[in-house]
Amino acid sequence: MTEIPNIPERPDTRDSPQIGRDEWVATHERRTAGERRLLATYNRVPPIARLAILAVLTIPVPFLLNTGDLYTFGLFAVLYALLGLGLNVTVGFAGLLDLGYIAFYGFGAYLYAIIASPHYDWHVQGEIAIPIVVVASALVGLLLGLPSRRLLGDYLAIVTLFFGQAFVFFVGTTNPRGLTGGANGIPDVDPLNFFGLHIRSYRGYYWFALAVFFVVLAGLWSLLRSRTGRAWQALREDPLAAELMGMPVNRLKLLAFAFGAAIAGLAGCIYAASAGSVASGSFDVPLLITIYAIVILGGTGSLTGVLLGAVVITVSYEILRPETPGTARVLFYLAVLAAVVWRVRPWTRLAAVLGGAVVFGFVVHWVAGAVSDSATSGEAISGGRFTGAIEHWVVIPAHPGKVPEYAYVGLVLAVLVLTRLRGWWRTSALVPTLYLVAFVWENILVDQPSVTRLILFGALLIALMIVRPQGLLGTSRVEIV
Amino acid sequence: MLLLIGVVVVALLAKEVHDPAKGWPVFWQLFVGGVTLGAVYALIALGYSLVYGILKLLNFAHGDVYMIGAFIGYGIVTAFGGSASLSISVWVLIALMVVGAMLGTGVLGVVIERFAYRPLREAPRIAPLISALGVSFFLQNSALLIFGASVRTYDSYNLGSANPGLGLPGPLFKTVFSLTSVPVSRATLLVVIGGLVLMLLLAVFVGRTRLGKAMRATAYDREAAAMMGIDVDRVIASTFFIGSALAGAAGVMYGIVFSQVFHFMGFLAGLKGFTAAVVGGIGSIPGAMIGGLLVGLAEVFASGYVSGNWANLIVFGMLIVVMLVRPSGLFGTRAIQKV
Amino acid sequence: MALLELRNVSLQFGGLQVIQDLSLHVDEGEIVSVIGPNGAGKTTLFNLVTGVYGPDEGDIQLDGGSIAGLAPHVIARRGVARTFQTLRLFLNMTVKENVMAAAYPHTRSGVLRSIVRTPGMRREEREIEQLAEERLGFFGDRLMGYRWNQPAYSLSYANRRRLEIARATALKPRILLLDEPAAGMNPAETQEITELIGKLREEAGHTILVIEHDMHVVEGISDRVVALDHGEKIAEGSFDAVATNPRVVEAYLGLQATATK
Repeated sequence: MTEIPNIPERPDTRDSPQIGRDEWVATHERRTAGERRLLATYNRVPPIARLAILAVLTIPVPFLLNTGDLYTFGLFAVLYALLGLGLNVTVGFAGLLDLGYIAFYGFGAYLYAIIASPHYDWHVQGEIAIPIVVVASALVGLLLGLPSRRLLGDYLAIVTLFFGQAFVFFVGTTNPRGLTGGANGIPDVDPLNFFGLHIRSYRGYYWFALAVFFVVLAGLWSLLRSRTGRAWQALREDPLAAELMGMPVNRLKLLAFAFGAAIAGLAGCIYAASAGSVASGSFDVPLLITIYAIVILGGTGSLTGVLLGAVVITVSYEILRPETPGTARVLFYLAVLAAVVWRVRPWTRLAAVLGGAVVFGFVVHWVAGAVSDSATSGEAISGGRFTGAIEHWVVIPAHPGKVPEYAYVGLVLAVLVLTRLRGWWRTSALVPTLYLVAFVWENILVDQPSVTRLILFGALLIALMIVRPQGLLGTSRVEIV
Repeated sequence: MLLLIGVVVVALLAKEVHDPAKGWPVFWQLFVGGVTLGAVYALIALGYSLVYGILKLLNFAHGDVYMIGAFIGYGIVTAFGGSASLSISVWVLIALMVVGAMLGTGVLGVVIERFAYRPLREAPRIAPLISALGVSFFLQNSALLIFGASVRTYDSYNLGSANPGLGLPGPLFKTVFSLTSVPVSRATLLVVIGGLVLMLLLAVFVGRTRLGKAMRATAYDREAAAMMGIDVDRVIASTFFIGSALAGAAGVMYGIVFSQVFHFMGFLAGLKGFTAAVVGGIGSIPGAMIGGLLVGLAEVFASGYVSGNWANLIVFGMLIVVMLVRPSGLFGTRAIQKV
Repeated sequence: MALLELRNVSLQFGGLQVIQDLSLHVDEGEIVSVIGPNGAGKTTLFNLVTGVYGPDEGDIQLDGGSIAGLAPHVIARRGVARTFQTLRLFLNMTVKENVMAAAYPHTRSGVLRSIVRTPGMRREEREIEQLAEERLGFFGDRLMGYRWNQPAYSLSYANRRRLEIARATALKPRILLLDEPAAGMNPAETQEITELIGKLREEAGHTILVIEHDMHVVEGISDRVVALDHGEKIAEGSFDAVATNPRVVEAYLGLQATATK
């Protein structure tokens, strides 16, 4: 007769998980984060140390870049990061899709420009102007948040989008009584002036903006670990349950709006002072998309993710600058290469694809050249070391006509089809597609970098939502739909 | 509350009409323009309503589909010689443009749904919205890339005319009749009647055909519809096709009457079309029609009586007011949240 | 004076009368069960008491003061806490954070103090944490230790229900509304829940209003039972009295059953 096993008392689960089941549950996070070991180590570093590392990395930047680069790369990266922080409060923490967010940035910029410039001859000093701008922006945020009480998510998105558009319109086109300077905006904005100390150099603005960023970052970090932060997160998770657990949901929403708006206004203020003028064109939808790309790329709800996202986006923004097609070309091909390397495994297949693309290219080029001389006699947009090599590989017709445009449409379709293919079909289709990418790039994209960058952002948003909605540093969320 | 607003609006209009400098002729002129524009907006609104009804998704990219439709029309005009030397009859051209645009944008809509929205059907609401934003941006800038920033024109005034450049209208803009001294051109009639025909066809389609019934069922309860044997994916694709085709038709019609097409036209038109859908009650077909009419009239009257700059603000204001006062719009049903 | 009292409450959705002239009361320290077939209006009753809906007619009083028509978070602050028929946890927050979130209405640190982390705010945070740990400890070891920092979505179904109850108790409620706490549980878990509800009253002194379908649970915990059908109260009394009431049997099983009884 088999012995009835002696079932032990339920073990004390207080400190050690039950072997098997509980351990599996407890290690769930670690397992799903397998490929992000770097992230895990990062999270284990205490926050003060992280802040210090960040500071060490970012403070010396002005010594590494020339002034022009500092302005466009450095300062704007910080400003965008600051905007991203604010948007993160509204969208990432309270879960309110605010598509008019940039209007707060513009509002802050214009308000500062109005009170600290020859426009009305008020030259309010920095230490007074900044609090005014911040408080005023918060109030505007409150106002915008008022309709949010009665609106479901997507309606709120549209209403805020409208407000954003209305702002641009109001400021740029209607220009009531010359308040906002119309299409030309307001010139000659004063530099920031604290008790007589003027910030006049880009370095100064960079460090000032960086300091502001760190202060806001620390403040938000602290706020998140308080009852307000928890209430915001609860609001995002389930607004009804949050309300029934005693959290005043409407008030919290308004607070989120106001906070986000205040941060944006502050950023706008710094922008206006550093740029020396404001015009409505800077505050329109392209910037909105950029900031959203930053927040989503970095991961909604992740504070440091915002900074990472800002850096990535700003750098990619500036890569595609019209003045340096050479660098742009190198970086573009590198990026494509990186994408291919990342997605194609194992390395044998990768080698086949890359080799195939190169060979394919030369073959096509040779055939095209044989068919018609003018098909390959065009010149690549010059610049950079690889121009010669490129001209021998990519077909660059002397008189392209409409072909590049059709090629672009073809490329979009090809990429879409690629996502539907599997296995060797996909691998083989990848080869001509890669060549097509190069063709389109050389013949049309590199010519219009600003448009290209916006196209890429649009595509990035779509791809992120589908493939990795939590962004780079966010944690994957479980949602009740 | 709405009644109060209506009274105020009528009073304002009455004041303008009695202004001796403007009076009735201006009123009717604006009215005609408003109805024409309204037809365009109504078609756009219908697309929004259809998609929202079935997926609860606000398709930001819808306005840009409209823009693509307008460009397809432009492409067809150019392919047949342009306004200077049209190689076929104007009327054939228009038919080709409308059909071509509708087919093109219909397919575009299906492709967008398939690749940008379908993977996100089970995702939280914010995801497809952001994806839609991305699609909109992508389309706008792709058009910019391909067509450049300059405004293209159908030059519809001269389209098909035997002697362009003499200042006389081509066949499209010949007056058909006069509404108390305000001329109504063929183009205007074409757009208004064409729009009405399309809307009626849609109403019949949704109300009477099997696919239409399937669409309504899926809009009501997607899971239950699937369990009743309805191929939900196909129904949704068809909805996008129809909605986008209507937007494409709207784009061509806009081009016919107002001539100008440019890559950014979809953004504002989309917003106003959305306003129309919301004012009329999103998810409702008669609502979209009435809403479109109201928005078109509002925009033209505002632009005529106040100023072009403020017209847009006023239209946006309409949306805000409706959202605050009566979020379900004129014909919409109120949403009840089950706890 | 009753702790919670509904007087002639009525509620209508469009043309449908969901609650009809309903009066009931719960005294301090009682455990009252609400039973009735699906659609009888039981969850609607909870929604009325917690402020999700305002009654069309009648009054709802807590501790003698009217709460009808007040905002849900105000009512929660006054001491009405609930769990949900379909769980509504904050899934992406940790177990401990779920419970700590509910401590909101009884704490005061504002935004400024939170950012700067004044000593007062830090003390409050410690208190909130302690409260959460205490409330979670009520369930034995199930939600303790390493579990505190697990996201709520990693919990098993039964643990999720327990967490929801823990969260509700963190509101320091005067009355606890449990909506089908035993739904979806196996017999062992059901037995545990029954004991737990008893414990909630004995050890923590809560007054409890329970919606439940499982008659074993109802029998095991109730001081009094109220039966609803089509939004009306059809019986009230001890479990035995209500369970054998012909109107109640008819509501659940139909006329045929009463005829053959």
